[in-house]
Amino acid sequence: MDELDLTFVDRVVERLGTAAENVLEILQAVQGHFGYLPQQALERVCRIAQITPAAIVGVSTFYDQFRHHPVGRHVIHVCVGTACHVKGADRVYEAFQRRLGIAKGDDTDANKMFTIEKIACLGCCTLAPAVQIDDVTYGHLSPDGVSTVIDDFLRYERSRAGRGRKTSGPRIESSDHRGEIRLGLGSCCVARGSGKLRDALEKALGDTGVKINVKRVGCVGMCHQTPLVEVVMPDNKSFLYAKVLPQDAKAIVMRHFKVDGTTRRISNSLSQVLDRILTDEEPAPVTRYSINVRDKPVADFLGRQKHIATEHHGVIDPVDIDEYLSHDGFKALEKCIREMSAEDVIAEVERSGLRGRGGAGYPTHRKWSAVRSRQADEKFLVCNGDEGDPGAFMDRMLMESYPYRIIEGMTIAAYTVGAGQGYFYIRGEYPLATERISQAMENAAERGFLGDDILGSGFSLHLKIVPGAGAFVCGEETALIASIEGRRGMPRLRPPYPAENGLWGRPTLINNVETYAAVPWIIRNGAEAFASLGTSTSKGTKVFALAGKVDRVGLIEVPMGISVRQIVEDVGGGIAGGLRLKAVQVGGPSGGCVPAELAHLPVDYETLQSIGTMMGSGGMVALDETDCMVDIARYFLEFTQNQSCGKCTFCRIGTRRMLDILERLCAGQGGKADIQELEDLARMVQATSLCGLGKTAPNPVLSTIKYFRDEYEAHVAKRCPAGKCKALITYSITDDCIGCTLCAQHCPVDAIAMKPYQKHEIDAEKCIRCGTCKQVCPAEAVKVQ
Amino acid sequence: MPRLFVDNREVEVDPGATILDAARKLGIEIPTVCFLKGYEPSTSCMVCVVKVNGMASLTPACGTPAADGMRVESECDQVRQARKAALELLLSDHVGDCMGPCHVICPAQMNIPLMIRQIQQDQLRDAIVTVKRDIALPAVLGRICPKPCERGCRRAAVDEAGEAVSICLLKRYVADVDLQSPKPYLPACKPKLDKRVAIIGAGPAGLAAAYYLLQEGIDCTVFDDHDKPGGMLQYGVPEKELPRDVLAREVALIMKLGARFQGQTRIGAALSLEDLRKDFDAVFVAAGADAEPMGLTTSANGIAINGDTYQTDIPGVFAGGDAVRKRRLTVRAVADGKEAAASIGQYLTGRTVTGPVKVFNTRIGKVRDDEKDAFAACGSDERRVILSHEGNGFTDEQARLETSRCLHCDCRKTDNCRLRQHAREHGARATCYKGERRPFVQWVQHPEVIYEPGKCIDCGLCIQITAGAAEEFGLSFVGRGFDVRVEVPFGRSIAEGLKHSAAQCVAACPTGALAFSK
Repeated sequence: MDELDLTFVDRVVERLGTAAENVLEILQAVQGHFGYLPQQALERVCRIAQITPAAIVGVSTFYDQFRHHPVGRHVIHVCVGTACHVKGADRVYEAFQRRLGIAKGDDTDANKMFTIEKIACLGCCTLAPAVQIDDVTYGHLSPDGVSTVIDDFLRYERSRAGRGRKTSGPRIESSDHRGEIRLGLGSCCVARGSGKLRDALEKALGDTGVKINVKRVGCVGMCHQTPLVEVVMPDNKSFLYAKVLPQDAKAIVMRHFKVDGTTRRISNSLSQVLDRILTDEEPAPVTRYSINVRDKPVADFLGRQKHIATEHHGVIDPVDIDEYLSHDGFKALEKCIREMSAEDVIAEVERSGLRGRGGAGYPTHRKWSAVRSRQADEKFLVCNGDEGDPGAFMDRMLMESYPYRIIEGMTIAAYTVGAGQGYFYIRGEYPLATERISQAMENAAERGFLGDDILGSGFSLHLKIVPGAGAFVCGEETALIASIEGRRGMPRLRPPYPAENGLWGRPTLINNVETYAAVPWIIRNGAEAFASLGTSTSKGTKVFALAGKVDRVGLIEVPMGISVRQIVEDVGGGIAGGLRLKAVQVGGPSGGCVPAELAHLPVDYETLQSIGTMMGSGGMVALDETDCMVDIARYFLEFTQNQSCGKCTFCRIGTRRMLDILERLCAGQGGKADIQELEDLARMVQATSLCGLGKTAPNPVLSTIKYFRDEYEAHVAKRCPAGKCKALITYSITDDCIGCTLCAQHCPVDAIAMKPYQKHEIDAEKCIRCGTCKQVCPAEAVKVQ
Repeated sequence: MPRLFVDNREVEVDPGATILDAARKLGIEIPTVCFLKGYEPSTSCMVCVVKVNGMASLTPACGTPAADGMRVESECDQVRQARKAALELLLSDHVGDCMGPCHVICPAQMNIPLMIRQIQQDQLRDAIVTVKRDIALPAVLGRICPKPCERGCRRAAVDEAGEAVSICLLKRYVADVDLQSPKPYLPACKPKLDKRVAIIGAGPAGLAAAYYLLQEGIDCTVFDDHDKPGGMLQYGVPEKELPRDVLAREVALIMKLGARFQGQTRIGAALSLEDLRKDFDAVFVAAGADAEPMGLTTSANGIAINGDTYQTDIPGVFAGGDAVRKRRLTVRAVADGKEAAASIGQYLTGRTVTGPVKVFNTRIGKVRDDEKDAFAACGSDERRVILSHEGNGFTDEQARLETSRCLHCDCRKTDNCRLRQHAREHGARATCYKGERRPFVQWVQHPEVIYEPGKCIDCGLCIQITAGAAEEFGLSFVGRGFDVRVEVPFGRSIAEGLKHSAAQCVAACPTGALAFSK
């Protein structure tokens, strides 16, 4: 290996500190610089920091984020989140492998141009199936379309390079200080039938001479309102536009950025648009600044919702502290500090009935009083923003859109329990959330809402952001603590609970993002107002990421007690494409399925639990009759099995053996005894795993066996009723074939011979069941059996 | 001082004590694999799970603090099932053979790898003890055995020339050296039990049964219609293959143990099975392929027996050897004699007749092409030793050389592996859960210690030890979840990882993952 220049490592360690707890940040910086973790760099870290080889190797191989080998110039992230999965992400992944000639088990093509990786969730479920190439997102992919995507990306790259922009380097960039235009969801615009928007914006910038970036970013909510455009000003003010059309591009640019007169004259002397602008015509899209709630679908979408954690959604500038203040921001904190004792706050939270929104639903006030009652020289506060469920991005949206609200909730909590130092653990894949929280923390500290002597009360709170590195298990509180302490994110046996023995052995309060976000509203509006929403045991609202086969997908906040069906029908607009609802998967990999016949049941902690699922963190995926429940169970188990920390036998090996059985079933190799063995093992894993990940991992399996046993039995009989499991289906062409040859042209493996004006045939031996022929056939003559 | 109940017995423990401590104080044995006193409980194997306060989920006793008023159940059905499942899951991901494949395939279940190491270390007296623990006539079999063990020998599967270790000749070498010694090995016999067994047939099965029954303190009289003992060994096998003096010397040792031989006595009209049943406490029918049924129920293979216990349908009458089998193999007959002797011993001492104790074993199975080098790591590169003259046995030197080819497939911790111990005690099935097998790996760079990651249960004790011993590299978990492995950081060798703490790690390792190479 060539000698690497390790002075960077020295600088990083000097900047971040030599303590063992800094290992994650050091590794992230090293990878950011080199693109991976060269062993020489790690050895250097061990020499100059208080980090042992065993520790650095243990940590760097635990988290998904870290790579130990160089990658290709571009990284293709194929989203395998739930929504993408049900819409064929696996086939897209395989199509990329084929297109790039990447062998199974390998991840980079021969030219070291592209590395392909699966990613748990890009958080753009409306675009399913979606991929991200470097920072560019493509949506609604089909196996047939991957070539177009790669070509488009390379063309785009060349055009970027031609304009002298950075073509590679760390993908987490700080925002351009000249401001930038962010395309909501990256290529929502592209995917939502408006692919020209990007070009139009680029052109508008070129025409007007405004030198700023058009950058693709993640979702901020209202998914079905895409394409969303966010304009970020040099001072970090941002403006959000929904359903933007290409012709709006120039107007948006003109509204926000000072156009250089000379450039304008030279480059746009013939531009008609310029004339329009010069006549001071009011740019139309500005009215879309606030999404128009009178639109019929929007009204339905919003009608059932109740915004507490997402209060002022769509109108508030995430990082503008004055705007937050003008919307009652930090009033709750002030009220707590000036008018309420800690006991009063706890009593108020108790009366509100607020329960942990991270999944388990533990009463929030109990955690708070447990930490408060502990005597210790130091106490800590942690905000769990390590949202990792595939198909869930509620916390990201909250962090990106309402950073002050979360910070206010945390500050109130810290004041109540007596914590002086807090940690904001944010999933590493959420750079925008990290950026905004960081900015908001700075602004809040400037105004005296954070830091020393908050609001002159003598109470101090210092917050630090810890970026997670990709380990779903770190959502478990004891694993989260291990991770903050710079160790492998392994959960430990509770008791002792963190309230007693948490970070560095001190009493520690850990709540989820959404829990903290609900607190200011409760303090301002009173516990009774919160408790008036919901059911007897589950109060207030819950944010869900609604995805899957409904018409209107997106992030929703609904009152507890609403029925699953109301969410699907009223909020989601029902199942798309005229198909029937089969089940709703609630709670992601820890949850289970609510079958259509139980969809009338209310959404609350106890009801969901009683039917074998759980609230979870808030993923909600609607499934229709074309979804295979065995495949869904396999999908979720594959996720949890992959994310198991590996500590206890039942989770480490038990989930693997469960997955073995499910894979056998989906491959048509299942035996009669398999269903029983799977069920028995699932119960064993549920009862005997050490932490929540293992205890809940069997839920998707047990609930699908409970409600869809017939589908399991069909798989034993080598049949997939939904036509999903590749090994159990065959594609054939019916007499409806019009001989158009489209299928033959598009088949990636030449399994269909070209026979113009004749009925085509599929060679079952060659067919890889990618579904392309079915997709391109204009006569619906491709049948799946 | 918390007071709690374990299996309804009250106990008071020091603050900070765990449920496991409480149970131990009461003398209640809770099985543990990953836990070791003095180290941080890793709560990983989950074999020590117990039920607390009737809750649906179980908790590991090793790491759960004992709390006042707690009610712990350590022996209920749910707990037993969970323990068994934990062991079965661990075993489903265990790449290791408790016993060498040669040992398992040998019908007499002779501990071949142990014998080979004893030869290697020049402990021939120990070697003959090992051999005769399972084979009563090793010098004989060393000449005529069709050696199924060599078909199982892994060396053959990984050897460039496909040549197994010459196990049979090594066994013959051990037996010949012993027979030619001034005082050939005679096992110690237990005190007499005042029980008599009639053995019908002085062939390999009958002689073997006598050999093992005598060691149990049980008198044996062997009846045979010929005048010399040996059965088909005496009257069937050509002299060229089996010189009769070898047979005579080996049989003489059995006689020396106290067996009575009554030749020229055909069991039939004059002296019937019924008569023998009256005069003796038990009868073992080993009259060979042409045995008369003597009123016993027969099957297609001969006299019908219970396959585990060798019992016929008449109480106190056992049968074995060629009389009960279609496929006739001397080594099988010798094994039958040994196993029937175990059953007869149980019968005569009033115990439940179960046959020989079944040993617990896990197996790796077939060697894959890409694993050959890994498996070959512990054997020399020598070619199979060729005998200078057909019919000769090994010289001392040849025997030593041949033993160097053995790959040491059996586990180095067969007798002190906690996984094996508890698997046996809980009746865990090694192949209960089917999954893809990991590749076989062994790290052999350390002068004293061998590391087999396939046997690791990820308890992390060695990681705790190396961290505590301030090893420069030590050991670390690498990866996560099902793929987590214990390795030396930065791809260093096991020798670099365990500079100071090797012995401590070997002692702590609950399985054969870390073991002394010799």
